[in-house]
Amino acid sequence: MRWSRASVLVAIAIMVLSLFAAACGGDDDDAGGGAEATDPASLKGQTVRLWIMNNGPHPVEDTEKIVAPFEQQSGIDVKVELVGWDVQFDRIRNAAVSGEGPDVTQAGTTQVPFFAALGGFEDLAGRVSQIGGKSAYAPGIWETTQVVGRDGTWAVPWFTEARTVLYRKDALEKAGVDPSTAFTDMDSFKATLQKLRSVKELGGKPIAPFGGPGKKAFDLVHNLMPWVWDNGGAELSEDNKSSTIASPEATKGVKFASDLVSSGLWDRSMLERDGQQVEDQFKGGRLAVFIGGPWVLAASKRSDDDTWSSAARKNLAVAPMPNGPSGKGYTFIGGSNLMMFKSSKVKDAAWELIKYLSSDAVQTKYADLMGMFPARLSPQKQQGTLDAEHEAFYQAISTQGRSYAPIPQWAQVENAYKGQFGRILDTGARGELSDAEVQSMLDKAAKEADGLLAQSTG
Amino acid sequence: MSTHLPTAPIAPPAPSAAPEEAAPEPQRRLTSSRSGRRLAYWLIAPAVVFMVLVHLAPTIGGVVLSFKNLNTFTFSQLFAAPWNGLANYRSILFDSANPLHSGFLGAARNTAIYTAASVGGTLAGGLGLALLLNREFPGRRAVRTLMLAPYVVPSFVVGVLWGFMFQSDSGVINRILVDGTGILSHRPAWLLDHSLLAIVIPTIWRGVPLAMLIFLAGLQSLPRELYEAAAIDGAGPWQRFRYITVPLLRPLIAIQLLFGVIYSAYQYAIPVVMLGGNPGPDADLMMTLIVRQSFSNNLFGFGAAASTLLTLAMLLWVAVWFRAFRRDLDSAA
Repeated sequence: MRWSRASVLVAIAIMVLSLFAAACGGDDDDAGGGAEATDPASLKGQTVRLWIMNNGPHPVEDTEKIVAPFEQQSGIDVKVELVGWDVQFDRIRNAAVSGEGPDVTQAGTTQVPFFAALGGFEDLAGRVSQIGGKSAYAPGIWETTQVVGRDGTWAVPWFTEARTVLYRKDALEKAGVDPSTAFTDMDSFKATLQKLRSVKELGGKPIAPFGGPGKKAFDLVHNLMPWVWDNGGAELSEDNKSSTIASPEATKGVKFASDLVSSGLWDRSMLERDGQQVEDQFKGGRLAVFIGGPWVLAASKRSDDDTWSSAARKNLAVAPMPNGPSGKGYTFIGGSNLMMFKSSKVKDAAWELIKYLSSDAVQTKYADLMGMFPARLSPQKQQGTLDAEHEAFYQAISTQGRSYAPIPQWAQVENAYKGQFGRILDTGARGELSDAEVQSMLDKAAKEADGLLAQSTG
Repeated sequence: MSTHLPTAPIAPPAPSAAPEEAAPEPQRRLTSSRSGRRLAYWLIAPAVVFMVLVHLAPTIGGVVLSFKNLNTFTFSQLFAAPWNGLANYRSILFDSANPLHSGFLGAARNTAIYTAASVGGTLAGGLGLALLLNREFPGRRAVRTLMLAPYVVPSFVVGVLWGFMFQSDSGVINRILVDGTGILSHRPAWLLDHSLLAIVIPTIWRGVPLAMLIFLAGLQSLPRELYEAAAIDGAGPWQRFRYITVPLLRPLIAIQLLFGVIYSAYQYAIPVVMLGGNPGPDADLMMTLIVRQSFSNNLFGFGAAASTLLTLAMLLWVAVWFRAFRRDLDSAA
């Protein structure tokens, strides 16, 4: 059979379009069905669908264990569904817009304003007094339930985390560094890493002073912003209308991180890895110092986590983040909140579940299982008394914790910052950057962020 | 546009046949040809409906969205979002003050380099291997089978594997080049300093087996007499390759060039797995840019406009390719 040229061209054009459509194909084919239609007069027998993310090694089983007593007491059935962190943003967004989703979802604290702006979530302001409201939470944590310029309470804090310095006691001992003064401020932090350089090997394994992930880490901004805050910088102007990431103070903070890379104190090979891979390097004994969250501490106590070398597990210690030149230190405080979909047909039952998950005892139990900290003040404080390591995390949360402005565009602004932070670290790995070079790259991030902040409905 | 479906020829009446019997024959053939055509339409109808629903409608939808102000605040309105005219295209193509403009140009440049290098490398590698495996040697079949292995590895896994292999401290590449053979005196950070090259190599590695297979099939169908005659006329191996092998393989080169360019221009999995969703200015490709701006930054209008431009670039490439290779297409048909 002979094909005309026109037919061949048409066939190829369709193939090009098809390949493109396939390349851009979304993954929301299983975005979930509609909420259950049940009798609103009685909560008994209703089913609440709850979306959770990979919060621990067995997220679904652990959550089911936690909600089992609630199901028994209330007669409400809870269907726990796992949504991976890699797709949760798309899935929650699509569910909020389409109205086809679960009743309650976990959401990252910095994502709440964006999701709330979509208009697909319930304002919980009228209900939160039942769980103590604002006063039951630290101000920084409660702020993550709000949206700038919009009245309402769009989420309830579920669990919290903060980054601290995690280090190897044996490495510091070998380098002759006093742990009590090793990480008090940025200068002592750097001096400690310099001394750790002399420790080439520990337990027969080569060890680097410090390491952190680069552009592949989803949380790169959380890792670098503490240095910016320490130096008096900020991510946004006070009115949240423009970026301040290229200010001299912010530049100083980012340059501090870039200098760690160019001086070799920050193992540059770690920049090729993602966050989990670098964490595994620390657990495996290849890094003396690492900045991580409470889940690392929890993992060290789990015998089934075989990524740990025995020396790293045995010698793990925690210190709060170093103070900046002003004498105050900061760390990113994050975690997850619970949000109720507007499309839920079982809102009262969904609220009962949120209320249950917000009780002090359940918060403590769940945080223990996940290796996180409870979001509520009282169980949080209690968790901080467990041992010195937990106390260091509690101190970080209560005295150093800082988050970003709750604006709908934050996640996108964070992406813009992440792109340039990654570039600065990559470039720093090739040699020391001048202040002007760092500032010029941050200028690009600020310009992109300003464009994102200028987004409008018109 | 009309399509030409093959139809049964209508035979003229045979002059010697009896007139009363010859007349109904063409009529019967015409009727049977019409019903056959109807059946053909019914048979292809599901495929047409599928293509319209799954490919054409989303593509048209994407083009429509490219004219919308679709962002964080208007996402929930989707097709009802405010009309934005050509603003998305203007900001991408001409607004030098807009960081999206430089991002787009950078990604377009990287994609062009990546595509040229990966398609060139794949075709050259595939042809080279096919020439080697076209010779007789013991274990030839086993070697051919083994050479096909990379093609069956999914792109995602290819990215994971090469991501590990390229790690500067513990990756096998540096272990061979630096520790094992001493070819290099320092440990290059492939994923940081040579990121574009780091994604080109796995792409070639994955593509070479298929190219080799196609070229090998082509080489085995080439007439031996031509080579024998050329050898008698004094043509050396290079001349035989240049003046016999390459011209005769031209249709195969053409078709691989066409699909290789399209595949590479739409590449997403390998860069995103090896370098993350934002591979940096040295290796950001069109697809990583589009996905990032659309799905992470919620700039769906921008993403749709950039997607439309990429699709148009591919259609332009098809037109250029068709012009360059139309004679090969005719001879192959």
